[in-house]
Amino acid sequence: MSIDFKNKKFLVVDDFSEFRRLMRRMLESLGVRDIDDASGGEIAIQKMKTKAYDIILCDYNLGYGKKDGQQILEEAKHRGLVRYSTVFIMLTAENTMPMVMGAVEYQPDDYLIKPITKEILTLRLEKNIRRKEDSEVIERAIRKNEYTRAIALCDELILKNPKNRLEYLRVKSDLYLSTGRYSEATAVFEEVLSMRDILWARMGLGKVYFLSGEHVRAKEIFQSLVEENKTLMEAYDWLAKTLEAMGSLEEAQKVLISATEISPKAILRHQAIGKISYRIEDYDTAGQAFKSAISIGKHSCFKSPSDYTGLAKTLVNKDSSGEALSVLGEARKEFKGDSDAMLQTAVTEGLVFKKMNREEDARNAVQEASKLMDGYSGSIPLEATMDLAKVCFDLGEKEAGLKFIQNVMRNNHDNDKVVKMVRDVFKEANLEKEGEDLIIAAKTELLKLNNKGVGLAEEGKLEEAIEYFEKAVRVFPDNKIVNANAAQVLIMHIKKNGRNDKHLYKVSQYLDRIRKIDPSYDRYKELLDVYEKLMTAGAKPQA
Amino acid sequence: MTKKMIDFPAFLASMAHDMKNSLGMLLNTLGEVTDVCKADNCPSHRHLTQIQYEATRVTNNLVQLLTLYKMDNDQFSVNISQYPVAELIGETVLQNRPLLDFKGIELVTECDEDLIWFFDRELVSGVVNNVLNNAFRYAKTRIKIRAVEDKGRLVLSIEDDGGGYPASMLGEDVGATGVNFRTGSTGLGLYFASLLAAMHKNKGREGSIALSNGGEYGGGCFTITLP
Repeated sequence: MSIDFKNKKFLVVDDFSEFRRLMRRMLESLGVRDIDDASGGEIAIQKMKTKAYDIILCDYNLGYGKKDGQQILEEAKHRGLVRYSTVFIMLTAENTMPMVMGAVEYQPDDYLIKPITKEILTLRLEKNIRRKEDSEVIERAIRKNEYTRAIALCDELILKNPKNRLEYLRVKSDLYLSTGRYSEATAVFEEVLSMRDILWARMGLGKVYFLSGEHVRAKEIFQSLVEENKTLMEAYDWLAKTLEAMGSLEEAQKVLISATEISPKAILRHQAIGKISYRIEDYDTAGQAFKSAISIGKHSCFKSPSDYTGLAKTLVNKDSSGEALSVLGEARKEFKGDSDAMLQTAVTEGLVFKKMNREEDARNAVQEASKLMDGYSGSIPLEATMDLAKVCFDLGEKEAGLKFIQNVMRNNHDNDKVVKMVRDVFKEANLEKEGEDLIIAAKTELLKLNNKGVGLAEEGKLEEAIEYFEKAVRVFPDNKIVNANAAQVLIMHIKKNGRNDKHLYKVSQYLDRIRKIDPSYDRYKELLDVYEKLMTAGAKPQA
Repeated sequence: MTKKMIDFPAFLASMAHDMKNSLGMLLNTLGEVTDVCKADNCPSHRHLTQIQYEATRVTNNLVQLLTLYKMDNDQFSVNISQYPVAELIGETVLQNRPLLDFKGIELVTECDEDLIWFFDRELVSGVVNNVLNNAFRYAKTRIKIRAVEDKGRLVLSIEDDGGGYPASMLGEDVGATGVNFRTGSTGLGLYFASLLAAMHKNKGREGSIALSNGGEYGGGCFTITLP
């Protein structure tokens, strides 16, 4: 059965015009009519923004100092320019592929080794299009946040197409991981590893150990992976993460630096080195790392204002406050119109000015930050808020500082990591007593708030309870318990009064938020199961 | 202590890379020309096919060279996954089809459609490609590719009806003993194949290659075994 790709929209990305012409002729000889090409990453991304391509053939090596194919893929996926049905094929000049190991999250659908023949191209195109069509059902379930069903679909597809078993097992394990079902994920990884020593399964096992707090076992796995596969970059990142969680910050820094020697262009890794070096007060390394992140970031969607604020904070510690201010000035230009970035920049300016004893300027910066914070919607930027509180305390504006931290606490009253951060800030400011009071107050407040809403629901005032929690979720968007209760009362309403698509949609949104905050939260799985049952029960029977 | 002016291996690798890219372009353009030529019934198309064959050989050699360089520099990892074996063979045959047709060599494939195995697709297809390329040079009329599962291993063999391998090359572990860097004979390909086979490890066993003569077609037989 051959698949028709003549009417598909193609994009060819390669830095050599001769090769682009050649691919064009080859595709034309296969009957393809809609072919665009691009000589590099920027143009490719630009074209993807204006046209939804079905098939992208992208060269890996696009010239020294230029964005490579992997970065284009990452950027395109990150920006949502690649749909699920899009086939992204990486063209490489060699049969050795260190980049295969690059970012497992962002894998192309296939690799093709140059020189490419018409015959092989045809085969691979057909194969990949067919594969996408087969697994589209899984993607659709994921889009509706029906994870349990997506997992069941993986099993169905394995039965239907045992040749692709490994691939579906991988998808399945990913789904288990992202919904916090660690023991189920472990079972899949172990099943695969009993067949063969497959890298992603070993990685997966390490991740499960890390996520369930078994750091020693996680470290063992990542360490052996790094030793055996020098180019498996993802293993370095997880090893560093594990070491950091174990408190071995120097070791973590070393691991990240050795990874940068192998793969120098990964911006996220430079950011991580900067942050960790700052924490261990290795300001020389931190400064270099943030500078690298800034320079790579000029052409990356992963650039972050924290590259600039990190560098500025580092410079302050190297007694270069003036330079710090000019870095922040650059950030203001680079991220113009981005209120999150402006908030971070203003906060850091406050820190710098305070350090320079320019109290008046510091106060102004804090004022700007406070204004931005008031207009903030959605997730609370933790680091910026903590820094803001710090400056406030330093400036003697205790009440303002307390207010910011109170907001953080209300959103994270059950998050031990955040509570620890909060305690540290208070300790530094010699406000331990106030800190403890605030923490307790936030916990009590949230307990009362939740009890009140649940009480309404129990009394049968479901409409009121829904309204109550909807409001609460707007004020405390990052609080998983509030989100869970908001979902819960909606479900109660559906159970009592029948299916309501609008409510179901809201439930799925709350569930997704909980998943992002803490997928291993036990109520998440319970609510997800109920949600999916409601989705299936109410669905019209398939024709 | 003498200090070298240049890092020769790195230099060589970079040159090989560049040459390979040029050859790739050459091969693609050549393919187009040959197609047109064939369609026009132009008599030079025989020569073109011969050029194509030689250029492919050089490309394969450069690829091997680059891979060896990467292995030597710790920049190499095997990327093992599970694939249908018939698909791998099918692709390789397809790539070599024009040459086979040109020389009038009949190619038979014996492989269960449902046979799936664990291997690094690019590496193994590279090996099969090379062997096929060689067999093509020596075969008279027939080549057979056969893949079976035997005692928990994938056994993939390529045999022809040519004159067979010289006695000195026969046996197992050909890779380790068969290379003679001084004479610069065809050893590189086999050495490479044996290295790649050995990189396929599973439960304490590793892959290997073997050469023999005779077999069903009476010529040379190359076998790669992957646990």
